[in-house]
Amino acid sequence: MDEKQNVLRLPSERLYANELEALKASDKDSKPNGWQLSPRAVLTFITGGKAGGTVITPKYIGNRRLVEMAIATLLTDRALLLIGEPGTAKSWLSENLTAAINGDSSKVIQGTAGTSEEHVRYAWNYAMLLAQGPSEQALIKSPIYRAMETGGISRFEEISRCASEVQDALISILSEKTIAIPELGSEIAAAKGFSIIATANTRDRGVNEMSAALKRRFNIIILPSPSDVETEVDIVKRRVAEIAASYELKASLPEEEAVRQVVTIFRELRSGATLDNKEKIKPPSGVISTAEAISLLTGSMALAGSFGSGKLTEEDLAAGLQGAIVKDEEKDRIVWKEYLDNVMKKRGSEWRSLYNACRDMNG
Amino acid sequence: MAEPLQRLPGHERLKGLTEGVRIFGVRHLSPNGAHHLTAFLNEAQPTAVLVEGPSDASALIVQMASKGVVPPIALLAYTEDLPVRTLLYPLAEYSPEYQAFLWATRHGASCEFMDLPSGSALALHELKSVEDAGESEEERVSFLNDQNGLYERIAEIADEPDYEAYWERYFEHNGNPNAYRTAIVELSNQMRELTERDEIVYRPQEAAYNEIREAYMRKRIKDTIAAGHAPSRIVVVTGAFHVSALIGERQAMTDEEFAVLPTSSTRLTLMPYTYYKLSSRSGYGAGNRTPAYFQLFWECLQNGRLQELPKIYMSKLAASMRDKGTYRSTASVIEGVRMAEALAAMKKGKQPTWKDLHDAAVVCLGGGEVSVIADALARIDIGTSIGRLPEGVSQTPIQDDLNRELRRLKMEKYKSPVAQSLELDLRENRRVQSEEAAYLDLHRSVLLHRLELLDVGFARKLPVRQDAATWAEHWAMQWTPETEIRAVESTLKGETIEIAAAYVIHERLQSCEDIVKAAKLIRDACLCRLLDAMSEAQRMLQSLAVDTGNFEQIASAAFELSVLIRFSSIRRHETKSLLPLLRQLFLRGALSLNEAANCNHDAASSVVSAIQMMHAVAQEHYNEVNESLWIRELRQLASRDDRNPKLSGFSFAILLDRDEYSAEQIESEVSRRLSPGIPADLGAGWFEGLSMRNRYALLSRATLWEQLDGYIGSLEDEQFRRSLVYLRRAFAVFEPREKANVSDMLGELWGAGAEDASMMLQRPLTEEEKEKLDELNDFDFGDL
Repeated sequence: MDEKQNVLRLPSERLYANELEALKASDKDSKPNGWQLSPRAVLTFITGGKAGGTVITPKYIGNRRLVEMAIATLLTDRALLLIGEPGTAKSWLSENLTAAINGDSSKVIQGTAGTSEEHVRYAWNYAMLLAQGPSEQALIKSPIYRAMETGGISRFEEISRCASEVQDALISILSEKTIAIPELGSEIAAAKGFSIIATANTRDRGVNEMSAALKRRFNIIILPSPSDVETEVDIVKRRVAEIAASYELKASLPEEEAVRQVVTIFRELRSGATLDNKEKIKPPSGVISTAEAISLLTGSMALAGSFGSGKLTEEDLAAGLQGAIVKDEEKDRIVWKEYLDNVMKKRGSEWRSLYNACRDMNG
Repeated sequence: MAEPLQRLPGHERLKGLTEGVRIFGVRHLSPNGAHHLTAFLNEAQPTAVLVEGPSDASALIVQMASKGVVPPIALLAYTEDLPVRTLLYPLAEYSPEYQAFLWATRHGASCEFMDLPSGSALALHELKSVEDAGESEEERVSFLNDQNGLYERIAEIADEPDYEAYWERYFEHNGNPNAYRTAIVELSNQMRELTERDEIVYRPQEAAYNEIREAYMRKRIKDTIAAGHAPSRIVVVTGAFHVSALIGERQAMTDEEFAVLPTSSTRLTLMPYTYYKLSSRSGYGAGNRTPAYFQLFWECLQNGRLQELPKIYMSKLAASMRDKGTYRSTASVIEGVRMAEALAAMKKGKQPTWKDLHDAAVVCLGGGEVSVIADALARIDIGTSIGRLPEGVSQTPIQDDLNRELRRLKMEKYKSPVAQSLELDLRENRRVQSEEAAYLDLHRSVLLHRLELLDVGFARKLPVRQDAATWAEHWAMQWTPETEIRAVESTLKGETIEIAAAYVIHERLQSCEDIVKAAKLIRDACLCRLLDAMSEAQRMLQSLAVDTGNFEQIASAAFELSVLIRFSSIRRHETKSLLPLLRQLFLRGALSLNEAANCNHDAASSVVSAIQMMHAVAQEHYNEVNESLWIRELRQLASRDDRNPKLSGFSFAILLDRDEYSAEQIESEVSRRLSPGIPADLGAGWFEGLSMRNRYALLSRATLWEQLDGYIGSLEDEQFRRSLVYLRRAFAVFEPREKANVSDMLGELWGAGAEDASMMLQRPLTEEEKEKLDELNDFDFGDL
């Protein structure tokens, strides 16, 4: 097995290396400083199209205008903040943007409650620091630091999970575009092309509110949930196929009908009403995102592949749905039961077997 | 390309004649079109300008172009007979048509409309809608969807988010006059070719109507040439859609054909318009979603500062947000402009479109959320401007009258699309000199009531607090183009607002059948200060009062009149003439009291309120009406046993208030009513009526409670339960303090020590007791 297949998940610039090459070859427009592609080529890379003879697969399905706005933000060397519910492809979009613009999506800070200011600016190799005193060699550079050196774009994932004081370390970096290193008596100024793409989640539990000062330094774009069933079905199908291929799941892909059913259930529970808007539904306590629909289907495929016939059955789906919707609360079980009996039961023969499986599972 | 379509048969070929006539296709609200058109006219120096619009309105063009007219305005054609049908042609300053008017007026060129006269247009519209109804709805919808789909496809191919953005980028930003002119014609031609065949199949009426219009336009061009204008010095300004039909070999309509066109008689007027209305008329063909933005666009274009538009727009947005208390820094404005320019650059555009600016504003000023900037957007994109027409510019007499009145009463500032409130104090203002000024608010009130009667929708009356109700009025004022249209429609009712309002009252009186409505109309006439209408309404009421009307209706009519008379001094009315009518009504009411009181329990409550109204009238006008007769009737009702006991009790209470009875009389009446053996529904029902009036009068009479106590004690179990229903109802409306008084009194009576008894009586019910009471609710009254 070559390296490419042995890695659990390849970064976007490696996964789509041939597409990027084709775009580069056919790109005639002028490129901004530090960019390897012109803005239009970046747009094509994200939203799909053709470059020479190569078909570019769409990476972000949904609102094309939002992608344009994101690219325009980076063109004006402003930092970009993508906000959205889980599963609205924030990280996916930010990874692909950096892959297309810099050919490098690896300069990333993964924000957690334990992220400290050193992760944002720089840290010291303490052995060297003690032995030699402060020096350039003893410096451990953060991804942002490195992006400033090369004039690239750094990513900051889940910024709202970091403590507020850590978030605020970004304020002066973004306005002055420098990092001061008082220990060395020097500072690093960002090369042209430097920017940051941050992603944040607003609805989850355990997030910290971002300060107004920090928000002001970002261009904020809110990524919506997929606008209609078709788009969401399309997204789910595409991602499930990609994941199944890279994880080598030994089950056949779910049928379109199964995907549509799962997406329908998720959309209805999320919006609190049936798709035709005729009936109100009690939504469950947790967030029901597109991402969960994807992991539900791949999880069910893994179940079917490892312990079943290799074909996705209603029972596998029901187990997945139960896990995704009924998280830990008794309340959710009731919500799910009400949905089954009030909505799903009346849906006719195509839904009958799924309904039976779900009802048995929910007890 | 589609093969040529069958056209209307005609006799003359236009070719040769129209050669050299210059046609400028426009979009109806397009600043750049207006800009290029002006340049085009300067170059062509025409002696005649023909503009798409109803040809019978040509005389109004000079007025529209006259000094003091501030667009947006609209040309309104309306039918002379009911129901009124209207045609509306809105114009903004940046309408190419409007600029053509201005140019022609400035350069002394003849300027005329060239479309079907409004009468024919309205008549054909009517025919069209009648015939359209027969079409298969489904196919038509799919055809319309296809048509709109075309616009979306154009936007998609051009890589623009929507058609409006496409239009702005490729046409409004197009600085080359010839490129603009040819591109718009080319676009419309192609669109027309794509849709024409389907239109003939799915919307034949529409296609035919269009054909008639264009044949007429060709006739107008021909006529203009015949009138002596050199073809090369004629400029035709028309919607780009029609351009291809006006050049080439198609025939013009003949005079004979024109003579047989259906027509209805119409009148024309001008009216001020609003940007708000302009934005809500948006659609693909005409209209702007963002008229104020395009006005700004036009101004920048005129000053040669179009490049600065994004900066001005974004600064205005931020300023508007700051005004409303949301601070946005200049840095955010700069970032917004930069982002909009980056968005435009990605499309290789010259400068940002409105869509680019809007999206950049959402990100940079709104933090990603539209809702944050929605209010500011509404102000900057749509705006609150309203057009203005100076005096003497063609309007219907009633519009003139309305404007005159508004000016006279200093209410012009309320002529605004932003809702405002107006509080009126009808009393005389003694600090001013003239009588006009002293009663300013009163005159305003009269005008507003008249407008309300005409349903013009300019002002809406809001309720006021009772203590000020006699002299204060509170109105919510908002002017919309509909206001103007309704005012114009009122022209058919009369030449001035006063005459029209009187006509409305007259109409309503004709169809009025009961005296309450008639009395209300008197009141309306009075509020509108329509003296003739008032006396007409009086006559109507009088004739109705002779033989129709039951007690309740008579009472409420009398009450209406009484209110009018009482407040006449505030409104400075002569109401003496109402007194005989009031006397007559009162007499009839008093005489029918005892008859009306012979009713069941359901009807009793409306009789109670009627008695209350009658009594109020009696007290207010005791000199004028036959009060003693009323008291006599009340006494009779109070003492009768064969009427509704509740009503008897109620009239007894009224008389009690007036001290009509001595203590002994009260005692004997109470004991008569509440003596043992009287059925519970009579006794307790009487008490219920008694308690509906002055409760303090009851509470202060201990003997009464003693008698009630004795009566209840004497009832059999079955009867007791019946009485509970009435008593519970009677006491339900007592206030807690009054209930406490009653229980104290009963405590005294029973000698159990006032406090203990009162505690006992006021403790909450137990579950068991509640259940028993619930059973009572289902009590079967059997014989009742």
